[in-house]
Amino acid sequence: MKKNTLTFLFCIFVMSLIQAQEATVKGRVIETNSGEPIPNVQLSIEESIYNTTTDANGIFTITDSNLPLGEQILLVEKSGYITLRFPITIQSGSTVNFDPLLMEVDFADAQSQIGFISLADDELDDDDGSSTNVSGLLQASNDVFLNAAAFDFSATFFRPRGLDNANGKVLINGIEMNKQFDGRPQWGDWGGLNDVQRNRDFSMGLTPNDYAFGDLAGTTNIVMRASQYRQGGQVSHAFANRSYQGRAMGSYSSGVTANGWAYSVLVSRRYGNEGYVEGTLYDANSFFASVEKIINPSHSLNFTAFYTPNRRGRSTAITQEVFDIKGNQYNPFWGKLDGDIRNARTREIEEPVFMLNHYWTISDKTRLNTNLGYQFGKIGNSRIDNNGTTLVTFNGQDTYVGGARNPEPNYYQRMPSYFLRFENPTANDYQNAYLAEQEFRNNGQFNWENLYLANQIATNGGKNAVYALQEDRIDDTQITANTILNTILTSNITLNAGLNFRSLKSENFASIKDLLGGTGFLDIDSFAEESIDVDAGDIAQSDLRNRNRIVQEGDRYKYNYEIDATVVGGFAQAQFKYRTIDFYLAAQGSQTSYQRNGLFENGYFPGERSFGKSEKLDFTDFGAKGGLTYKVTGRHLIDFNAAYMTKAPGIRNSFSNARQNNDVVIGVDSEKIQSADLSYIYRSPIIKARITGFYTGFEDATEIGFFFTQSFQGQGFNNDAAFVQEVTTGIEKRHLGGEFGIEAQVTPTIKLKAAGSLGQYIYNNNPNIYYTSTDFDGPKTFGDGTTKLKNLHLSGGPEQAYQLGFEYRDPDFWWVGATTNYFSNGYVNVSKLRRTDAFTTDIDGLPFNDFDETIARGLLQQEQFDDYVLVNVVGGKSWKIDDYFVGFFATINNVFNQEFKTGGFENSRYSDYRKLVEESNRDTPIFGSRYFFGNGTTYYINAYFRF
Amino acid sequence: MKTMNFNKIVMVLLAFVVATSCVKDDDFDIPNLNIDEPNINAEDIIQIPAVAGELAQSDEDQVTYSETGKFMVGYVVSSDEGGNFFKQLILQDKPENPTVGIKVLVDVSPLFVTYEVGRKVFIKLDGLTVGTSNGVLALGVRGEQRPDRIPFPKREEHIIRSADVATIVPKPLTIEQFSMANTNLMIRLTDVQFTRSELSKTFAAEPNDQFDGERKLEQCSNSRVVVLSTSTFASFKGVTVPEGRGTIDAILTRDFFDEFYTIYLNDLTALNIESSERCTSTNCGLANAAGPNELFADDFENQTINTPISGNGWTNFIQEGTEPWEAFEDNGANQSLGISARCGSFNSGDDSTISWLITPQIPLSNANNATIQFKSSSSFADGSEMEVLFSSDWDGTPANITNATWRVLSDARIVQNNDFFGDWIFSGLVDITCIEDNGYFAFKYTGSGDSNFDGTYEIDEIIINSF
Repeated sequence: MKKNTLTFLFCIFVMSLIQAQEATVKGRVIETNSGEPIPNVQLSIEESIYNTTTDANGIFTITDSNLPLGEQILLVEKSGYITLRFPITIQSGSTVNFDPLLMEVDFADAQSQIGFISLADDELDDDDGSSTNVSGLLQASNDVFLNAAAFDFSATFFRPRGLDNANGKVLINGIEMNKQFDGRPQWGDWGGLNDVQRNRDFSMGLTPNDYAFGDLAGTTNIVMRASQYRQGGQVSHAFANRSYQGRAMGSYSSGVTANGWAYSVLVSRRYGNEGYVEGTLYDANSFFASVEKIINPSHSLNFTAFYTPNRRGRSTAITQEVFDIKGNQYNPFWGKLDGDIRNARTREIEEPVFMLNHYWTISDKTRLNTNLGYQFGKIGNSRIDNNGTTLVTFNGQDTYVGGARNPEPNYYQRMPSYFLRFENPTANDYQNAYLAEQEFRNNGQFNWENLYLANQIATNGGKNAVYALQEDRIDDTQITANTILNTILTSNITLNAGLNFRSLKSENFASIKDLLGGTGFLDIDSFAEESIDVDAGDIAQSDLRNRNRIVQEGDRYKYNYEIDATVVGGFAQAQFKYRTIDFYLAAQGSQTSYQRNGLFENGYFPGERSFGKSEKLDFTDFGAKGGLTYKVTGRHLIDFNAAYMTKAPGIRNSFSNARQNNDVVIGVDSEKIQSADLSYIYRSPIIKARITGFYTGFEDATEIGFFFTQSFQGQGFNNDAAFVQEVTTGIEKRHLGGEFGIEAQVTPTIKLKAAGSLGQYIYNNNPNIYYTSTDFDGPKTFGDGTTKLKNLHLSGGPEQAYQLGFEYRDPDFWWVGATTNYFSNGYVNVSKLRRTDAFTTDIDGLPFNDFDETIARGLLQQEQFDDYVLVNVVGGKSWKIDDYFVGFFATINNVFNQEFKTGGFENSRYSDYRKLVEESNRDTPIFGSRYFFGNGTTYYINAYFRF
Repeated sequence: MKTMNFNKIVMVLLAFVVATSCVKDDDFDIPNLNIDEPNINAEDIIQIPAVAGELAQSDEDQVTYSETGKFMVGYVVSSDEGGNFFKQLILQDKPENPTVGIKVLVDVSPLFVTYEVGRKVFIKLDGLTVGTSNGVLALGVRGEQRPDRIPFPKREEHIIRSADVATIVPKPLTIEQFSMANTNLMIRLTDVQFTRSELSKTFAAEPNDQFDGERKLEQCSNSRVVVLSTSTFASFKGVTVPEGRGTIDAILTRDFFDEFYTIYLNDLTALNIESSERCTSTNCGLANAAGPNELFADDFENQTINTPISGNGWTNFIQEGTEPWEAFEDNGANQSLGISARCGSFNSGDDSTISWLITPQIPLSNANNATIQFKSSSSFADGSEMEVLFSSDWDGTPANITNATWRVLSDARIVQNNDFFGDWIFSGLVDITCIEDNGYFAFKYTGSGDSNFDGTYEIDEIIINSF
């Protein structure tokens, strides 16, 4: 026994001696053609825990006494490059040195750029009351499922895990770019900069990111530092028929020069008179410059600026009736003027960003990155203001003449359904419906000349403009400062910490963009209805301190207020890496404050109710998350993440009617989020696979909607019709589901892949809801003050998406791929008003006497969209000519021109039982749900030249 | 990398990008809005009277044009800019001294942004139908009983703008001159004021205003009243009616149910108050109580039936025709109130019947809060009518009745043709405090032997009080 023990101890000793002899794998990774070192390449010894990344000089080292000995596979990966697998032999005490290790640019990387392009370019408007925003986490990565989501699912607003892009964080050089207004990144601010945005650090979901605490849907840090670009340039030109018709881009980077300077510039232009949808003009220029001075090995100072003014013609969701007549390319917002397309609703974004970044390598284990960001500029959305009036003072009383109707060609009173709205249509009704249908079919565009004509008549009569082009503006000025520490405490523990500060002044106002030939525009609300004790001349005023003002082009009118927002926060994160388990813990805290400052004294809300400073809103938030990766073997991994956090609401959801008053949302609170996911990951030389189950619960979410309704019965005012602000608070949501991705390199040239997601994203309670309006006093509620949303589905893309695809990569530098994608379980965005007791309330405040529960259930059934299949094809080729690369790639999306709905929302105009019964009895409803329709077959082709 | 070289590269990149296609910017010029005079043959242009005549000569309620190639010319006089007209254009044949007007029904709102007041337009008649709508001449598309609105897609085809914009000169009229021939015209009433009971009311924003607010406007010359109608959608509905007197330019038409003449404003600029002094009026509204002093009363019980009313100070004067006011008693379906007074021209053979029944002089100059009340009834009144009038300058002699100034007591409710013939209608307790002089009240019957104008009016229980 004793002997055995001794032998055992001896063996241990010998083994430890042997193991104490370190083995080393090291080398330098350079790009095949340029010979430039490649930073941030991930290297790992397959089926082991050992991994590392290259530094800025492309150098890496893996050294440990426990390296697996014998024949091993070294895996060399970096997004945008072809993955390498090197067979190596590791011997105890010896070193394997690769110098150089050549990596080749993956021309299929171009494909990833498309995914990103379409994301940034197609981001849709959310001002129609829908929330069909694509998710912020869509981007190229090494994950099969996310790639499918980015390239093939994005066309239909599929959102991984049902999360909206306000749930993902986008950083540029470590500075958070999500807007305080709604938490979403404004992609337009850096559109067209693709060539200089290839360096990205992406953390999926809750997994740790070195720059920030992050968010549920992941964190992306885009590195735009002059020293991080390889020396060389690229010009490219693309042609497409999606959002733009063409894109020209040229970029050049100096690389780091001998004296430590580096420069990078890019200019690009995207243009098109219309995209796939009619009248959607695209006019965007992008400019980027970055200069960096590497002062010494410890200090480097970088300056980056980009300016991407863009102007786009918008389109909108349309009813089934409009779609049936005009199809999925129809857009009511444009019309011809002097032979040119003019879109009444354009969006202009001009928000240049300037950054100063300091990189301080304090020691070889500790780095401190300090950033200062400044952004200013404007976001403007235009629309026609058709309520121009002229003051007539009679006997000392103000009245207003003029004002016209909505000039849009799809206005409901111009639709065939409107003429068939009565129960037993007459022959004349059918005739009128037919004429309306023919008129809309043949002449369904905006008539600009009529607007100019009206203003000409007004001018000749000495009156103000009837129509004007209005622009709703958000002019933000924002300063951001942060500092991020990264220190390696031990070989197993890395600590990240950061402090950040953000100060925003947001000016919000409407202004006159074009008087359309008129002489001036009277700044009053012509919808103001006087009651016995209130003079219309008072309540109609946009600014009581400046009554009956006539405004000119460029003047502010209607509403004018500022929001001051300040955010102070910090995070700390520790990452632990051990042989069989990696884990992390992170925590953050922040203080957010908002205050509105009214610059107009609104006639409906005189005094402090609208003018001057509002109550100051303060939110204190914290979050904690943790997770672990357990390496069962090198091939089998289990990954688990969990988080609890609170999030301050965006500015948008904090003030109930910011355009008119200082009111804050009653019961506004930070959102509480709990989230967890569990994955099984399998990696072999042939197969890569992941399957994940996920859960996220939201509590205390707030939503605000604005609409006109005729179903506001029993509230004690005359005609049940009101333009309301709908404030929903205390919303609980539950996201539950699973996703998977698998890819098999069946031959060196052929890869098969499959991915899918199955989720259920629902409201989990009946939240509180109240309404405010200038048509009645005070907040109003129905019944118990809730809306019955529990178990209804959230809108926003299909809940189920599946993909099968392949890629063929010919050794002769061409490649082709195709995917088939199946989508189902998309749901319409429900009207909340219909799910309140307004639905059952008659004008006297009592329930309808003809209420039939079975019929009611049918009326409130949430619409589920039809499922559909989209087939996408992509391919490309490249040539090397001397030291230059020439190549192209092309994609065709929706090859079979499948028609499909990507989203939609119910109309709250009719929300009561009786009106909805009438609507359901009509062949075509007057106020039917409006839908977003997907694109038919589209192409994108890009040719490039690299030098 | 040398800086020179670098700059060169930047320049090349810029040139490459700038050289690519451009997009129309947002600086659009005002388009050319000049109107070319429509090319219509003179012989194809017809006047509004011709269209009116077409309907008048037809046995049908509606006459539809087809394959005539004709265009009707007219001048726009209405405007929906103030929200007081909706989906209709009122056209008259001439900008000045018009003779006929027509209402064109068109399913477009607003119209002022295309067809301003004074605009000359040509209406392509083929496909349109002329008829009567709410009592006045109207043009539209054929409907079941009356013309319907021209569908909006057909608007540009049928309504063609001339380059000509004329100045409309309103046609001067007095209320007693109102006739069907003057409907759909822009008219001018001079020296008018709102009656006393309308003051402090808004044009159309009182709680019981539905569809239209109806306010009485009286002519200073004779206190004759017309209803000014204002839509509850008019932008000036909430304005309080003015107290003073002045001139009003408005469009004469019939009310929705075709029961009386009424006028509509385009907007308040058409109402020109020239003096804040109100003029003399007999329209003082209604009183809450009658005083204890009886200034005059008659229930006709002392009259002899089937003989003309006489005695008690009455003046019974036949201005035209053969029918006096007479006493009668009826215990049948058309019951009298004991003995009552009546006047009618049924079977009279008169070309015209005008008969007056005038009270003795009533001493109102010293009376406090005087009131008058009576009851009236009618039988088959049709086009015949009865008015209640007051004069302070009549000298009491029958010969001078027609020379005197007779003001209308329009606040008194008088039986209407559509009231049930057996009913006696109470006048209301009519306030006459605004009458400052002594004078005479008259019941004036107007009819003829024509069967459409030969109705009978009956009155009784006339009482004048004061405090």
